Amino acid sequence: MIKCNNLQKRVPIAGHELEILKGITLEIKSGESVAIIGASGSGKSTLLGLLAGLDEASGGSVTINGTDLGTLDEDGRARFRGEHIGFVFQSFQLLPALTALENVMLPLELQGQSNVTEQAEHYLKRVELDARLGHYPLQLSGGEQQRVALARAFASRPAILFADEPTGNLDSRTGDRIIDLVFELNREEGTTLVLVTHDSALADRCDRRLRLDGGALVKE
Amino acid sequence: MSMTATRMLARDWRGGELGVLVMALVLAVGVVSGISAFTTKLQNALVQESHRFLAADAVVSSGRPLPDQWLRQAKIDGLQSAKTLSFPSMVYAGDDNMYLASIKAVSEEYPLRGQLTYGIEPFGETVPATAGPARGEVWLDSRLFSLLDVALQDQVVIGDQPFLVVAVARTEPDQGASFYGFGPRVLMHYDDIPATGVVQPGSRVEYRQLYAGSEADVKTFSRWLQPQLQDGQKALSVEEGQPSISNALARAESFLLLAGSLAVVLAGVAVALAARRFSERHHDYVAIIKSIGATSGAVNRLYASSLLLLGLIATAMGCGLGFAIQAVFFELFAEQLPVQPGSSGMRPYAIGAATSITCLFCFAWPPLRRLGQASPLRVLRRDLPLEGGRAISDYLLGLLAVVLLMWWYSGDWKLTLAVLAGLAVTVGLGLGLALTLLRGGRLVGMSAGNIWRLALAGLQRRGLANALQVVIFSMAIMMLLVLLLVRTSLIDEWQTQLPADAPNHFMLNIGPEEVPAIESVLSEEGVVREAFYPMIRGRIMSVNSEELVSTEDVEEQRRQREINLTWSDGLPKDNTLVAGQWWSAGNDQALVSLEEDFAERLGIKVGDSVGFLIGSQPLEAQVTSIRALDWQSMRPNFYLVFPPKLLAAYPSTFMTSFHLEVADKAFLNRFIRRFPTVTVIEMDAVVEQVRGIIEQVSAAINLVLVVILAAGGLVLVAGVQASVDARMHESAILRALGAPRRLILGSLLIEFATLGLFAGFLATVAAELSVAILQILVMDMRYTPTVWIWPLGILLGALIIGSLGVASCRKVVSVSPVTVLREL
Ligand SMILES: Nc1ncnc2c1ncn2[C@@H]1O[C@H](COP(=O)(O)OP(=O)(O)O)[C@@H](O)[C@H]1O
Ligand SMILES: [Mg+2]
Repeated sequence: MIKCNNLQKRVPIAGHELEILKGITLEIKSGESVAIIGASGSGKSTLLGLLAGLDEASGGSVTINGTDLGTLDEDGRARFRGEHIGFVFQSFQLLPALTALENVMLPLELQGQSNVTEQAEHYLKRVELDARLGHYPLQLSGGEQQRVALARAFASRPAILFADEPTGNLDSRTGDRIIDLVFELNREEGTTLVLVTHDSALADRCDRRLRLDGGALVKE
Repeated sequence: MSMTATRMLARDWRGGELGVLVMALVLAVGVVSGISAFTTKLQNALVQESHRFLAADAVVSSGRPLPDQWLRQAKIDGLQSAKTLSFPSMVYAGDDNMYLASIKAVSEEYPLRGQLTYGIEPFGETVPATAGPARGEVWLDSRLFSLLDVALQDQVVIGDQPFLVVAVARTEPDQGASFYGFGPRVLMHYDDIPATGVVQPGSRVEYRQLYAGSEADVKTFSRWLQPQLQDGQKALSVEEGQPSISNALARAESFLLLAGSLAVVLAGVAVALAARRFSERHHDYVAIIKSIGATSGAVNRLYASSLLLLGLIATAMGCGLGFAIQAVFFELFAEQLPVQPGSSGMRPYAIGAATSITCLFCFAWPPLRRLGQASPLRVLRRDLPLEGGRAISDYLLGLLAVVLLMWWYSGDWKLTLAVLAGLAVTVGLGLGLALTLLRGGRLVGMSAGNIWRLALAGLQRRGLANALQVVIFSMAIMMLLVLLLVRTSLIDEWQTQLPADAPNHFMLNIGPEEVPAIESVLSEEGVVREAFYPMIRGRIMSVNSEELVSTEDVEEQRRQREINLTWSDGLPKDNTLVAGQWWSAGNDQALVSLEEDFAERLGIKVGDSVGFLIGSQPLEAQVTSIRALDWQSMRPNFYLVFPPKLLAAYPSTFMTSFHLEVADKAFLNRFIRRFPTVTVIEMDAVVEQVRGIIEQVSAAINLVLVVILAAGGLVLVAGVQASVDARMHESAILRALGAPRRLILGSLLIEFATLGLFAGFLATVAAELSVAILQILVMDMRYTPTVWIWPLGILLGALIIGSLGVASCRKVVSVSPVTVLREL
């Protein structure tokens, strides 16, 4: 499903190149749930961005469902993301100008789907926010915002869900509730899950763990 | 998608920069279309106004009777017409009173344009008349009542025919303003002429036919008439209007166009700033929607459609504002304009809409277009630098757009150049000076107290951004100063030209022996007068011994002509030398000083010799100086001045001008009875009219200034807003770290006030340059540097920008730092 081969990322910084990822090779099967763990600054987010096609690699390749992301331009990757990939972020990333319902409708509208309202309402109901459809992100608590983000991620029925420290901005009880939801939805929809975290308890709930250290995968 | 676009737009209104963007657009469209509609309508009104001075839309004049067939053709073409006939004739009253009067016979239809007025006592109040005298009746000039010793209802005789005096002739729309040979007026009916028997073939008469109708009809008729005109038959031009009014209005129009152009620039800058901030804030949002599948095309469509929608709304609102502006202006003018201004047509609003489109495309779209390229990676890394920033090409595009808009709008490249020069100075000097000074501050500033250190650190960290801001602030301040300066000098000049006690009567034909008596009578009555100027009739014959052509054709510049000469020991009041030197008092050489336009027409320079014929005696004089003088002052003005001793031998009369209030005019009756040969010419109605119109123009100018002030203020607000986000963030951190409120506000105040100080200084330099170019090249005025503008510009800059900055950042100390940090 996801294959990456000798994936590298370098960024130029003050005259010299900083090597953030030093050749990552891995494979994730369909329906699998994988946790990427590691210390802060070890390159987890960078890897996630590359796997999800948000960024371009400096070397190596990422192939998802047989599509080599390196052959797509940014617009091609955007369409690919829209069709195959869902996201949940540490800082929620909802559009403040749109209501909860509109935020969930947005990816569906972008794909030109029909009866978007019903679909969006369905997923918001699934995350138990059917009473808050018309509320704006600033009127919702952090946990509620993250649930809206979850509904948005699953509404477009992605093959893969990428989550970057989805509980990082939440207290532990709210965070646990979110994680429960992520795994429930993941099971119901049969999604592949790639989860970045530094919480090893959370990582234990996944099928597999990958540890990053200084930009390279290390054995546990 | 478009549904989402409108939603996002509506919600984003809260962000503030959309409000600035829309307001800037509305103001730009409003000011541009309003001023343009106003000037269009004003011009229409002025053309009609100038027709008033002909008493018709078209006039033909001749020394011989004009064919009646022309009147029939005019009727066929849908025109009204009237006839007049002017001639000099003796008027008799009783047995031994008679006087040579200037008689004008008019048909019932006269005047076709403008207003004929009469009075019921000499020099008394004027009353509008619907037509001239009826058959058998005459109206007499105020002066004639004392000269002939008659009263209303008395009889006077012209030729073989007695007439009943029924009114005082006061003003005619086409009475003209030439002083020479100005006999007192008698108005009578056209059909009474044959009965008098005074108009014989060969007598000095002027026949006129007057026509009026719609513009199109008049054009058709004039085209038909032109080929019919024979020798001695002349179509009078409408351009011979009121020079003082048209001059004032031409300058006012320049000012309005300037204001409009500045409004365009200011609005463009405000739009660009607001759009840029809008785009910066939206980078995060774009990253989000891109991460969930939006392509850059989709993002561009989203923002383009939002922009278009905004543009439509703003354009519609702007046209509404423009309509309101011109309506308010005409409300101000309503009383002064004798004619209906008519419609301005759609063109002003089209210009407004074009301005809006240009502003959107050249100022708002470039930063928004960048949004399409925003990286979706921002959803993971918010500290990612913003895409690209503003490219040089954006600035060039904006600059080009501004120049073209200004040029197209004002139709005046000199005006465009003047503003551009000022802008260039602010940009060039601004970047250089701001960068060096802000850098230099690092060396000196460090030992200063805490608050200063904080402020200086803030200034230096954002060096380039600050320099850019200084430039933008100084641009806005410069334009406001330019307008303020030009407005002030215009209004000052008008006020000195026509003060409340400006002369409004002329007195001619004063015999030399009468001067002392008249002098004492006037001073007894407390009448303020100008000096007495001798007046000698002469004829200019040759230049450098080369004979000039003798013709009455006014087209010919270098021709012999009759002219009034005067003498003076000193340079006459309000005259300025433009070449040569003034003679010393008591000089008796054959010298002469010429007025500059007159000298130019005849091609005469200092050192040339000019031949005159005075009476029957030739006189050859050398040109020692060329003078400029102000024809708009109601003082005696002369083309030619000689040393007194040179002309002392020739017979002369004297003239002067003086000021008389309406209430004091009865004095003229007594005066004329005592000095019957002196000619008094009333100009008070004209002076009042000029003053009235100029007052209204001044009011309009002040109104425009207020509107432009709003536009300038908007730029300042947008400029301050642009830097608020970054400053808020830092201040919030400082506050979280425990910095007291006073320290933060104080350092913000110092920071912004310093920017304002620089901006104010640059603006003042640039404004002086712009104004100098404007006044010399465009407005044809004299330029003197203004002292008061320096402290004003600099202090205002510091004050306004300092307080705007603190006001915009106030939130940072009134809300908890957590809230600020989370919202940013
Ligand atoms: N675009 C970039 N420019 C400079 N440094 C970067 C960039 N992206 C990542 N880094 C650096 O690479 C390292 C890894 O970052 P990241 O992937 O965000 O780590 P993690 O998510 O594991 O905390 C960090 O030190 C970060 O500062
Ligand atoms: Mg991370």
